[in-house]
Amino acid sequence: MFNRDFWSEIFMALRRNKLRTVLTGFAISWGIFMLIILLSAGNGLKNGVTSNFADRIQNTYRIWSSSTELPYKGHKANRFIMMSNKDIQLLESLYQVEEVSPILSQGGTLIFGEKSRMVEMEGVKPIYKNIEGIKILEGRFINENDLKNKAKVLVIDKNTNDELLRVTGETTMIGKTVFVNGLSFTVVGVGKGMMMFGERGQCFAPYSTLQAIYNVNEYYQITFTTKGLDTKEQNENFIKEVKLKLAALHEFSPEDRRGVWIDSQMVNSLETMRIFNTINIFIWVIGIAMLISGVVGVSNIMRITVKERTNEIGIRKALGAKPRSILLSIVMESLVITTIFGYIGLFLGMGVMEIVNMVMEAGGAGMSSETGMAVFINPTVDVRIVVLATLVLIISGVAAGFAPAWNSVKVKPIEAMNYR
Amino acid sequence: MIKLENINKTYFGAQPLHVLKGIDLHVEEGELVSIMGASGSGKSTLLNIIGILDNYDEGDYYLAGNLVKNLSENQAAEYRNKLIGFIFQSFNLIPFKTALENVALPLFYQGVNRKKRNTMAMEYLERFGLKDWADHYPNELSGGQKQRVSIARALVTSPKIILADEPTGALDSKTSAEVMQILREVNASGITMVIVTHERGIASLTRKIVHLKDGIIESIEENDPDKMDFTKEIK
Repeated sequence: MFNRDFWSEIFMALRRNKLRTVLTGFAISWGIFMLIILLSAGNGLKNGVTSNFADRIQNTYRIWSSSTELPYKGHKANRFIMMSNKDIQLLESLYQVEEVSPILSQGGTLIFGEKSRMVEMEGVKPIYKNIEGIKILEGRFINENDLKNKAKVLVIDKNTNDELLRVTGETTMIGKTVFVNGLSFTVVGVGKGMMMFGERGQCFAPYSTLQAIYNVNEYYQITFTTKGLDTKEQNENFIKEVKLKLAALHEFSPEDRRGVWIDSQMVNSLETMRIFNTINIFIWVIGIAMLISGVVGVSNIMRITVKERTNEIGIRKALGAKPRSILLSIVMESLVITTIFGYIGLFLGMGVMEIVNMVMEAGGAGMSSETGMAVFINPTVDVRIVVLATLVLIISGVAAGFAPAWNSVKVKPIEAMNYR
Repeated sequence: MIKLENINKTYFGAQPLHVLKGIDLHVEEGELVSIMGASGSGKSTLLNIIGILDNYDEGDYYLAGNLVKNLSENQAAEYRNKLIGFIFQSFNLIPFKTALENVALPLFYQGVNRKKRNTMAMEYLERFGLKDWADHYPNELSGGQKQRVSIARALVTSPKIILADEPTGALDSKTSAEVMQILREVNASGITMVIVTHERGIASLTRKIVHLKDGIIESIEENDPDKMDFTKEIK
């Protein structure tokens, strides 16, 4: 059936109607092209935003102190709940919790030589590097020894580092002594990917050191990692459980919406993913709608072609062409148009997005200039999309050709031959 | 070879048209029969039914011993392809195919391979003096040449029956005589032939003339074409 003669008939038909073939094909090319562009752009946005928390351990938690909203057990409303080592012990006793790091926050001024800079200094445990997804560009992060020895060491952020180097003309900050609020610290590392505080720098010291210096035992923030919490439901239940335990510990109402804020990285990222999935569905709907208009175009043109060829089809029938051979030749003609032009659109779209990607990577575009966070990275589609698009094209090609083909099969040979 | 019993056919349009009103006709193997009648007498419809290009409402039609009734499109295509060769007034050649490709087309639908197809088609073209025209498209051929191509196409599958609908209708008298001569020779080789015509001159070249009027067979006339002088004009 699908021998050389079969294909030469089809390509002869396509060549005989070059303009028609190209115009029809254009609609399909355009549809697929736009679908690929849209999907790539959606992917770029998704890649950009997710890359910001890609380096964090997926399932990290953060608890913030807050004031209560309801009076409870003789306590007035609006009481501020501060967390302490008791909270850490409580969290560590939970089997889902792996490691806990409190955060001691201390605003201040960092001075190095002539240069001073406003910084937020945070006392943390070594695990905080993973929780926050901090990339160490130079030197090292806080380690267990620092913690044990209450060492006066500091990890500074990249912006602060660059600023200090620029002003002082030094080549590295590692090993240099800086002063924060008048206390001397030795810089051991430079990190990137921390939370940004506008123009202020951020640096990390062992939490035991800050605790000793400032004599604080209360925390605004505690972070920890968990294990075995894989679904949104498990996480939400865990949040409820922790909230109840903390409510009992601090004697605030379990109904209280405030008191402490518990934030799950996983729930957040699931939420983000949900948004991107919605965007993705939206893109597919638009893309498919565009493709459908292309398919309708092809179907229309095929109908006209079949009408024009009615006489020829009648003659073929009189000479002994079977319905299947006529059906197949028309459907295959439509399929050839849709797939060839579909692939042209597909590869054009992918090519354009590859170029966009290259230009963006070269120019460092796609980063938000204010926060240094990525918003648009690698706007390309993967092989699965190509396979899926192929499938869509084949289905639409067959769909476009089938109705006109079926009509031509049904008509009696003598009517077809006498058709004018 | 062809046996029609009480064939009825009505076209259901805005005004139902009863075109064939009980046709009984037998055509033996090797016969040369013409169907004559004015336009609208139903002669073309009858030929189309014989050629399984159209269906009928009532009666029975046997073709080479097979009842042709409510056939599937596949079976009909098979019969048309293997048993019947068509010759039309307007030739019905496919315009974008060369003479050779047109003649080879029925063989394509028989699944004959390309090489054998073209060899056979060339043989038939040669037989009708069209060897040098094999690569020409129909619009480059004269009427007589076109009709000879279509005769070659009708014969290439070695059918049992040739059905010709006004085969000379579009030709001048000289070419008509040539075409009729060819058809008579084809018939002489043993192929049954039914020719529809409204021209007395053409009909008188056949052995049996069926006169059709208003969908009924008026008379069947036995005729001896050998009395005719072919050198004379036949129109």
